[in-house]
Amino acid sequence: MGKPKAKVDREKCLACGGCISVCPQDALSWYGSKALVDDEKCISCAICIRICPVGAISGEVY
Amino acid sequence: MKYDVVVVGAGPAGCVTARFAAENGAKVLIIERRSEVGVPVLCGEGISRKIDEWDMLEGDRWIAGRMDGARIYSPDGTMVKLSADLAGNETGYVVYRDIFDQELARRAVKAGVKIMMNTMAIGLLKDNDKITGVKAKQFDEEVDIEADLVVGTDGVESKIGQWAGIETRLNPKDLETCAQYTLTNVECTDAYCDFYLGREIAPGGYIWVFPKGKDTANVGIGILASLSESGMAKQLLDRFIANDPRFKNSEPIRFLAGAAPVANPVETVRDNLILVGDAARHVDAITGGGLTCCLEGGKIAGETIGKAVEEQDFSKEMLSAYETGWKEAFGKKLKRNYLVKEIMLDFDDKTLNMLADSLKDYKFEGISTLRLIKALVLKHPTLLMKLRHLMKVSKEAKE
Repeated sequence: MGKPKAKVDREKCLACGGCISVCPQDALSWYGSKALVDDEKCISCAICIRICPVGAISGEVY
Repeated sequence: MKYDVVVVGAGPAGCVTARFAAENGAKVLIIERRSEVGVPVLCGEGISRKIDEWDMLEGDRWIAGRMDGARIYSPDGTMVKLSADLAGNETGYVVYRDIFDQELARRAVKAGVKIMMNTMAIGLLKDNDKITGVKAKQFDEEVDIEADLVVGTDGVESKIGQWAGIETRLNPKDLETCAQYTLTNVECTDAYCDFYLGREIAPGGYIWVFPKGKDTANVGIGILASLSESGMAKQLLDRFIANDPRFKNSEPIRFLAGAAPVANPVETVRDNLILVGDAARHVDAITGGGLTCCLEGGKIAGETIGKAVEEQDFSKEMLSAYETGWKEAFGKKLKRNYLVKEIMLDFDDKTLNMLADSLKDYKFEGISTLRLIKALVLKHPTLLMKLRHLMKVSKEAKE
């Protein structure tokens, strides 16, 4: 089983862009006015999960 | 269709840059990924009275409240009061950011700027290594927008700089992660902006209460991203509101998240490229405020672009007048306040209480950072070691 990858809850995301600005892998970008993780690029560092002010990002094992 | 300039992002930095570029003869297009300029609001909505001098906003529809001053509370509740003369430099007005942004956009359009909505930049157009425009997506359709100059005003999450090879990615210690309610039926009786400091209250940041007209207020929090856990900003804010009697009968009419870079500015010009505003990390690292830099920097950028178009020279050398200009206008202040942020992060609650206690009766007349530091060091000589470097920078910044 792989490490958990970041996943954005599109209902909770308020589109502040914080996660996009800190992702060390450039794995986050806008998709339909919400943040979206490219799980090919995600390295499971969890930085985006910790910095989300509203807890909209969690780890999910694929 | 080819433009002289394509501006990515219709926030304050984008609209002001576009307006002054157009007024100086440039053919300008702004692309905006959202479907309404200024919406959603992602901001505490406090701004300096300095904007009065710049004549960039007409009327007063964008003003929610004029502030009489600010109060800063240390962790034990010791209050330091700043009069309007002093606090006005940071929090002179509380504004409606959606109307504020739309007013700046209106002025840009009046100057001849075109706007394309629902259009997101997905890359730079390049001819060999030369930047020749922006690759964008409007709804599902890809469009190539050719331009001699690309302006990155795409905010904290900026990609334009990175695509041009400028490292804009933020370290979590250089980002404030924020949440804010607009509460109504609050009991805030005067026009003061309140700030609450402390490790338990808001680690590496602060909670703010900005009154917004009659019985409504923005109550928000920013915490340093490196000290954050998932959802922590919202949790701490909820706790603060639940324990404050002013908000006992209040209800939220808006909830938003935000992210403010509190980093050192990056390189802002390359051949055929300029960065302005949050994208350039032009934010006061102490307050997290960036609006004045957007307006002041945007004007300098726009005027520089006008000259570049006139001479048909979009080289880094030509555009460097912008970098020189913003460094002159606010570069030293940004540098100094970044240092202050770094120093303040080391302060525990006891130190903050001690500082507030020393300052609570301080006569804040003709305040300057340098004088303030001198007054503090006289009372607390051990601070001297920490602050020595800052004093040097303050002397350079002459503020």
